Amino acid sequence: MNSLERVLAALQGQPSDRPPFLLNLSLYGSRLTGAPVKAHFADPAVFAEGQMAVRETFGPDLLLSPFLVSALGEAFGSRAGGPLEQAPNIRAFAADSASAALRLPLPDVDGHPRLLYLRETIRILARKYEGEVPVIGLLVSPPDLPPLIIGLEAWLDALLFRPEEARALLDRCTDFFVQLGTAMLQDGATALALTANLANRFMVPAEVVTGLSRPALERAFSQIPGPIIVHHGGCPLVPHLADFRGLPQVVGFLVDAGEDLAAARAILGPGPLLLGNLDGPGLADLSPEQVRGLCERALDAGSPDPQFILATSGADVPLETPPDCLQAITEAICLAGGGLR
Amino acid sequence: MDRNYSRDLLEAIQKADRAGANAVVDAWAMGRSFHRVIPELLAPTLETFGKLWAQGTGGVSLATGYVASKVAEDVLSRLLLESASRETPALPAKGPVLVGNVEDDFHPLGRKMVAAFLRAAGWEVHDLGVDIGPAQFVDMAEETGARVIGASAMMFTTAKNVAKLRDEIDRRGLRGRLQLAVGGAVFKLRPELVEAFGGDGTAASAAEAPALFERLWQQALTFEPAPGGMRP
Repeated sequence: MNSLERVLAALQGQPSDRPPFLLNLSLYGSRLTGAPVKAHFADPAVFAEGQMAVRETFGPDLLLSPFLVSALGEAFGSRAGGPLEQAPNIRAFAADSASAALRLPLPDVDGHPRLLYLRETIRILARKYEGEVPVIGLLVSPPDLPPLIIGLEAWLDALLFRPEEARALLDRCTDFFVQLGTAMLQDGATALALTANLANRFMVPAEVVTGLSRPALERAFSQIPGPIIVHHGGCPLVPHLADFRGLPQVVGFLVDAGEDLAAARAILGPGPLLLGNLDGPGLADLSPEQVRGLCERALDAGSPDPQFILATSGADVPLETPPDCLQAITEAICLAGGGLR
Repeated sequence: MDRNYSRDLLEAIQKADRAGANAVVDAWAMGRSFHRVIPELLAPTLETFGKLWAQGTGGVSLATGYVASKVAEDVLSRLLLESASRETPALPAKGPVLVGNVEDDFHPLGRKMVAAFLRAAGWEVHDLGVDIGPAQFVDMAEETGARVIGASAMMFTTAKNVAKLRDEIDRRGLRGRLQLAVGGAVFKLRPELVEAFGGDGTAASAAEAPALFERLWQQALTFEPAPGGMRP
């Protein structure tokens, strides 16, 4: 089986030669190629080379477009920056309120350089791995876009105290999301993976979830011509999974490290993939033996579920993570499948 | 039957109803001196709210925490206004203390909420803003006489800069006398990082920051008592 077949088997609840796995090594590719992080997150060919190195070194079954949500904010006019050894973050927002953001032009998904960077990485990877390895386009859902444009505080202000402004901005963000998500899929992404933190009761009250965020997700996802995976985004997802059940196009959920996969399956029922739940950012502090032990436990917990994909949860795996720790994941996976493949 | 204002205020905050919360405060203030609003209504309510937040129960979310901090700001603004008109001090002064986001961290919301809860608890708070380098933190602590720094970081990558602040405090020989409180999403998710990066303590939620600062302030005093009975 190749990686695409393995992932499709999981999607259909069919057996495969070994469990499929996903590593969030968007940043880590630069360590493998030795490319400066700045170039890694600016030049599509450099980033794609990093993902190819990830694939050759560790063999994950899914590859990723850049984990670079700041690029989405930049498309609206926010400014990003940061230390040389990290992915850029938003440093100044494009507007200071939802009403001001409504006056911003919608970014051109075929013209803005930061969006073209994201899209071109997908094109390169999709060409290279067509029919062999799924390429996942990383995005954020419409409710998570405004924090990149006006900041979280101004967005909470709108969601809580000015719902009409919030709804109007959500509508604009939905239009942008649909355009970019559709373009990514047309570029060759097999699926989109995205956060929906501002649709999670960990972040906002039930009234906001049911009145604003969930309807926005429904409207947005129903217009996306491809599969979607919802990522926990740093929030506990399992206690709130019922809010995400039945959303159009959603084929999987990536839960946080330590969350109960069996409880997640009980809430969702058969159908969607469950991905998780290795703590990606925490791998840097562990020895390869500890990582191997964690993997074995995660595989034990997930293996009764035919629709389980072992995946790192949380943000990017840190640059300083020893390659041996990531190799330990590959070895544990191969062992679970009965040998190296 | 007497109205349970604290319960009503808590319910309004839990519903993220800022206007409703202020209406409860207004109703409480009818026939009472407003300068008692913090010790008698706001502080105990926020303490209960903080416990619910830390436990992840009672429908509490980040947004309701934000509303609680806004209600605290609303009450403080009104209190300051009333005190100015009467030329009496608004609150007993505790502190001073500092809060700021560490170098390269541009996520201000949690820090602002902590500042609001600290001020509502009577602390004199110097809010330094985002992207504050270690030297800037410690310079300001020496200048103001602060004994507690509250350093905020959202992500693992920026949380590592807390260790640089720890080093700067130690390099100037201020360990113990200047306590380091750390907070932010990453420390909630990975509490082991508090110690690993040299923090002296953390709180499970912004609403619990006043209790943490109180404890750290007392801890600082054991290293060097305050001159002339300085507060608290």
